[in-house]
Amino acid sequence: MFSRLLLLFLFSWTWGTLAATPSHEQIVGDFFNKNGASGGSTSNHTNNWAVLVCSSRYWFNYRHMANALGMYRTVKRLGIPDSNIILMLADDAACNARNRFPGSVYANPGRGLDLYGDNIEVDYRGYEVTVENFIRVLTGRMEPSVPRSKRLLSDASSNIFVYMTGHGGNEFLKFQDNEEISAFDIADAFEQMWQKKRYNEIFFMIDTCQANTMYSKFYSPNILATGSSKLDQNSYSYENDNDLGISVIDRFTHYVLEFMERINKTSHESMADLFAYYDPVKIHSDPGVRSDLFRRPLSEVRITDFLGGVAQVEVGEGVPVDTAAVGEDQWPLQGESPAVPPVLPVAENTQERVGDLGGGWRGMRAWGGVLLIGGLVGWVGFRS
Amino acid sequence: MPPHVHVHPDGTSLRDPSRLFYQSDSIRRLIIASYWLFIIAAIPLWWHITSIERLSLPTARVHAQAANHLRFPVQIQLENVQDSSISTSLQKLLDDRIHKSHGLDVQVRQQSDPTNPSDSYVIRAAEGVPSANERSLTYPVRPATLPNLADLLTLLLAPPIDAHRVAQYSPRYRLAFTLLNEDAAAGGAISGWDISGAISRHLSPILTALSVLHNFTIESQVQFHAPLAFSPTPIQDGSYGLTQEDLTVFVNSAEWSLSSSVSNDPVLHFIVFVPSASRRPLKILDSNGLPSTSNAFLLPQWGGMVIYNPPTQDTNSNTNANAPLPPSALHSLFSTFATQLLSLLGVPNLPGDLQTTTDALTGWQLDALLRRRTSENARGAYDTLQSIVKLVDQIENMPVGQDVRGDVLDSLSALEEMYTPSPSSPSSTPPSLTTTLHHSSTALTLASRAFFSPKMLALLYFPAEHKYAVYSPLFASATIPLAAAAIREVVAWRKGRREREGAGGGQ
Repeated sequence: MFSRLLLLFLFSWTWGTLAATPSHEQIVGDFFNKNGASGGSTSNHTNNWAVLVCSSRYWFNYRHMANALGMYRTVKRLGIPDSNIILMLADDAACNARNRFPGSVYANPGRGLDLYGDNIEVDYRGYEVTVENFIRVLTGRMEPSVPRSKRLLSDASSNIFVYMTGHGGNEFLKFQDNEEISAFDIADAFEQMWQKKRYNEIFFMIDTCQANTMYSKFYSPNILATGSSKLDQNSYSYENDNDLGISVIDRFTHYVLEFMERINKTSHESMADLFAYYDPVKIHSDPGVRSDLFRRPLSEVRITDFLGGVAQVEVGEGVPVDTAAVGEDQWPLQGESPAVPPVLPVAENTQERVGDLGGGWRGMRAWGGVLLIGGLVGWVGFRS
Repeated sequence: MPPHVHVHPDGTSLRDPSRLFYQSDSIRRLIIASYWLFIIAAIPLWWHITSIERLSLPTARVHAQAANHLRFPVQIQLENVQDSSISTSLQKLLDDRIHKSHGLDVQVRQQSDPTNPSDSYVIRAAEGVPSANERSLTYPVRPATLPNLADLLTLLLAPPIDAHRVAQYSPRYRLAFTLLNEDAAAGGAISGWDISGAISRHLSPILTALSVLHNFTIESQVQFHAPLAFSPTPIQDGSYGLTQEDLTVFVNSAEWSLSSSVSNDPVLHFIVFVPSASRRPLKILDSNGLPSTSNAFLLPQWGGMVIYNPPTQDTNSNTNANAPLPPSALHSLFSTFATQLLSLLGVPNLPGDLQTTTDALTGWQLDALLRRRTSENARGAYDTLQSIVKLVDQIENMPVGQDVRGDVLDSLSALEEMYTPSPSSPSSTPPSLTTTLHHSSTALTLASRAFFSPKMLALLYFPAEHKYAVYSPLFASATIPLAAAAIREVVAWRKGRREREGAGGGQ
């Protein structure tokens, strides 16, 4: 088993380094494309959705709610409308009895910017944030009575940004202090979304302890994932606010939001820039990226492809033939371009969950242990 | 005296402790056996309550649908044509151009054939400019013009599609019309519009023609403060311009509330934007930075926008007056909206130089759209059914209830009905496009409903270690002593029987 994993890792590493250098034509093409209209982006999505989840409650997890609200503000600022954002907050920090600044949630120690302003729309609040509701949102399997604002009405040309924060561990994330969601559940939910053509591409970002394990089980195509810390590593909070008395944001999310402050709706910054901005020294943990399921090179993926609400536009009443042709040229299929891996070490190229043979072996081992203990106890009992 | 009876010094006889009533072997064995019987009787109950209801799905029928392909029979009738060889050569030209992927079976006939069905297409040979009305085409038919006629017919029957722009099929649509004033406080805003008149004049013919496909609900609103998220660039003649990039971020969804979220139907938005009096006129710039003549643009699958610059008022009148939208502007705006609505719903354009006198859309366009939607729906229904079967197979914890199974069966029967009509309908007339579309739409709706059934939530994944970690303390700590006791009883019983036989044999 171990030698197989080692072989897999070596193979993926050599393949990644071999495909490293971009071709000359692509560099020139990128230069021209960057100055063009909406022709630089190689994405072919027509709408954007965001699912932002804060899964922990209680006052001392203020920073998780601030994480989710900071992402919410960024995503709204970059153009995704409220009708396309599903915000799940497991607790109410703004109206908590311990909040010295009631009605406000801040994400930096000096309390400069109030994230809980006048114009936010929380779709799932308090005890509605459960694993079951989260999976229902992703897969779309809801009772007919659920209102439109709580549904993810995405289609085959939607790009979805999924952000999760809370307390987590090796392949699980804790919800509300009494249940947990595993990496397999999220992977299965994404697979069901893929089968029903509910997404074009997904960008999955997670900020918890041992976050990188959460995306290790994905097996559906077109998913780009990033996490704040790897296996056996904690993710740390940024700073405390002295008046509120608790930490107000996590390090990983803080640096991501700092990067996003430079982005506006028409920026051409790419995901490769974001991943290059990660600094393990400042974040105090090793963020990871998983891009093996993603077909486009990361330097061509714009931040606004996922976090922004930009649209493709066709000008002209009646749409004469050449305008339509120009519109179609905007979305070229670049299947043959070489992959450009990001600077950070690519996460381990895990396969789908361990095949039946592996699961069966583990099961036999477990039962063998039980029988051994039973045998020992019986033997002790029979000696007389 | 039996060996198991001891005599106490004061004469009472004590019995061997192992022979006393509460240590009787048979009672003890009965008690242990009753525990085991209880466990064995409870196993079916435990199995039943921990198992997931997974009814069987008609997998073979679903896979058999892969072999079905929709074919649309198309009859073309030539009128006023004396030369009988024209129809054969036209048929041959059409067969070259329309290949199997379009799914059309084209047949060209002369006019005198009495068995033509009523919904065939008619080509009238007449000199002059070609024109198309409903399901007829007037064209100068000569042997020299036949290739052009064949090209035209190909474009009419199987037009090229732009899948990116056209919204997905849904049986119900909401159309949201909005009049947005960027800043009415700056004066000179548009205070209202005759929306119902405009809709009835410009859009009702289209909506009525398309009512066989979709059920439309219309809502409209006027807003007086709808700020832009950016500043348009001023250009030298005093007007303001929107670059191509500005257009992509024009819709400021954070601050504009454009449609009511009452239902789950898809919404198509149509917006008239009136810029603020301090930033008029607002023009769209083309890629060279020059103002283009068009003031409308389309966002694929979302809707369309038109920018309306009210005419500048002369200095005598009150420049702060708010006026309703003048009828001439309303006319041009709603003509634009009509074009945008047609392209968003997937109605193909008539080929370039073809004239028409029909109001909304000709029968050619409607039929081409019906055919395309029908094949899309059929493919979508088949894909969904395949996905259901594959997912249920792949995720073992997924329950399949009675309603899911019922929906899958109904969807399959609608699909099969569409491909091979039931014997009850007369076999001489093929089913009309409308009924075929209806079947395909039913199949797609039911398949989607089965896929999105709320009960089909896969139960949470429990890895093997979790299951054993939960079950072992529970069951092992209860069953191991029972097992040990049972084994001990069996061994003791066998030993006792051997002793009895030995003792019996020995005597």
